[in-house]
Amino acid sequence: MNSRFTRRQSLKMLGVGLAATLFPSIPSFAIDRELLRKPYSDNKTLPVIGLGTWQTFNVGSDTRLLDARTEVVKAFFELGGGLIDSSPMYGSAPDVMGYALQQLGVPDSLFSAEKVWSPAGGSAVEQVAELLGRWNLEQFDLVQVHNLRDWREHLAALREMKQAGLIRHIGITTSHGRRHQEFEQIMASKDIDFAQLTYNITHREVENRLLPLAQDRGIAVIANRPYDGGRLIKGLKSRDEALPEWAVEEFGCTSWADFLLKFIVSHPALTCAIPATMQVVHLRENMRAGMGAMPSANTRQKMVKYIESL
Amino acid sequence: MSNGLSYSLQDFIPFTADIYFRLLERMGETYWPLHLLMLILGLVTCWLAWKHRARLAAVLIAPAWGFVAYAFFMQLYAELNWAGGYIAYFFFTQAILLLMALTGIGLDSRPRKGAFALGIAIAFSGLLVMPFIGPLSSGSWFQAEVFGVHPDPTAVTTLGLVVLLFRGWYLWLIAIIPALWLLYSGLTLWALEATPAAMVIFVLLGTAMMGLVCKSFGYSLVTQDNTHDG
Repeated sequence: MNSRFTRRQSLKMLGVGLAATLFPSIPSFAIDRELLRKPYSDNKTLPVIGLGTWQTFNVGSDTRLLDARTEVVKAFFELGGGLIDSSPMYGSAPDVMGYALQQLGVPDSLFSAEKVWSPAGGSAVEQVAELLGRWNLEQFDLVQVHNLRDWREHLAALREMKQAGLIRHIGITTSHGRRHQEFEQIMASKDIDFAQLTYNITHREVENRLLPLAQDRGIAVIANRPYDGGRLIKGLKSRDEALPEWAVEEFGCTSWADFLLKFIVSHPALTCAIPATMQVVHLRENMRAGMGAMPSANTRQKMVKYIESL
Repeated sequence: MSNGLSYSLQDFIPFTADIYFRLLERMGETYWPLHLLMLILGLVTCWLAWKHRARLAAVLIAPAWGFVAYAFFMQLYAELNWAGGYIAYFFFTQAILLLMALTGIGLDSRPRKGAFALGIAIAFSGLLVMPFIGPLSSGSWFQAEVFGVHPDPTAVTTLGLVVLLFRGWYLWLIAIIPALWLLYSGLTLWALEATPAAMVIFVLLGTAMMGLVCKSFGYSLVTQDNTHDG
């Protein structure tokens, strides 16, 4: 047996060594397994697990909590994360992101996703300018119209900002299964890059029309409420049931977070899921779901039946 | 499969339970030992009410409302919830309504024994019992919610004192803001799954409402009696 390392093996070993030195807190799975990435516009790719900030990042000026959230963001980037989603509706969350990025620096992997939301006041242009200041950034990768509020005016303004090079991509959002008909019409008729909607193992209405439409139109899809506001993961954990053996065998499932998130991101139309968390340990669980094997179409059906049987 | 998603109460609360309780703790850390001064203020107010000095007692509660409006709602809570600024204005309004007692409007200098007992029980719950709930459940003394520093005990203590100090239509007017805040706070705690804390708020609110109704009912009977006497 030839014991000499090839150039590729040597580089890989060097990379592993460097990563272990730089990020000693990352468990071994993170080093030898990469976060799955999916394509969005212009053949770019995004890691399938992002980070939501609703409720969890709204900590105001509390230094203790600001530092704790900075640790979450740090771990997110260390584990290969990219998309972080916020909104002017989320209270101080954009300021908290600004604080974290000031502490950590702005990594190349950051894909900053914000929203314009009418009740926040001001035009879309004014809101984007204010939010950039709060994040300490010069440009957002994505700005979405939050919950379709005044989408005609906002989308037109966002398109102009995109053409002027002020933002990179534009999109629309909905949640809780609301206004799907209107959402579909916009997806079908307007030139948007991203659509953010609620999709999880118990709320799959979007599989019927919106997800196929996104595939047809080449629109990247972000899934919000992957744990149904925390209820799904809490419910499963509180049952204290072991993971089904077939889930472990078929896609190496290691936790209920793995089970729920892998179900979402394995859908062919899905680009990224954005679970929110305030704990590094939960973030690691979430990120692990974007690594390794994914459930097949048949296994996905089995997963749905299993959850429905509980 | 359930396709019909709908909003729940939790979806309207823009922070988690941990963040909210930490906010209460920050008030404790920032303003200690103001708690002691406010506690003394509350006890003095109860003593004045007992001595039938309703006007002075009512006026002394007003600074507590003004301070909570500014320090809690405008400075901290508004960072987490856009509604915080508006709630601060309601708390300032309550302070003004209490200061209006200087004119003698709606004052009850001789509360009946039943109303007095119920009112003082509610006020003491806010002053002396509520501060222990946070530390007993969290282990942190800085989570002690205190009259004049935190909104819930301020509202509960005030409702008890209102039952003691006021009567007629002004009794109800001056009870609206504390009662609405307690309803909002109870629902917030419920949505944050702090069920025992929410239950305490709802029980105290219910008791205070009962006190208001009993007092109003009692006064209408007295009015009828007086009519017959006349």
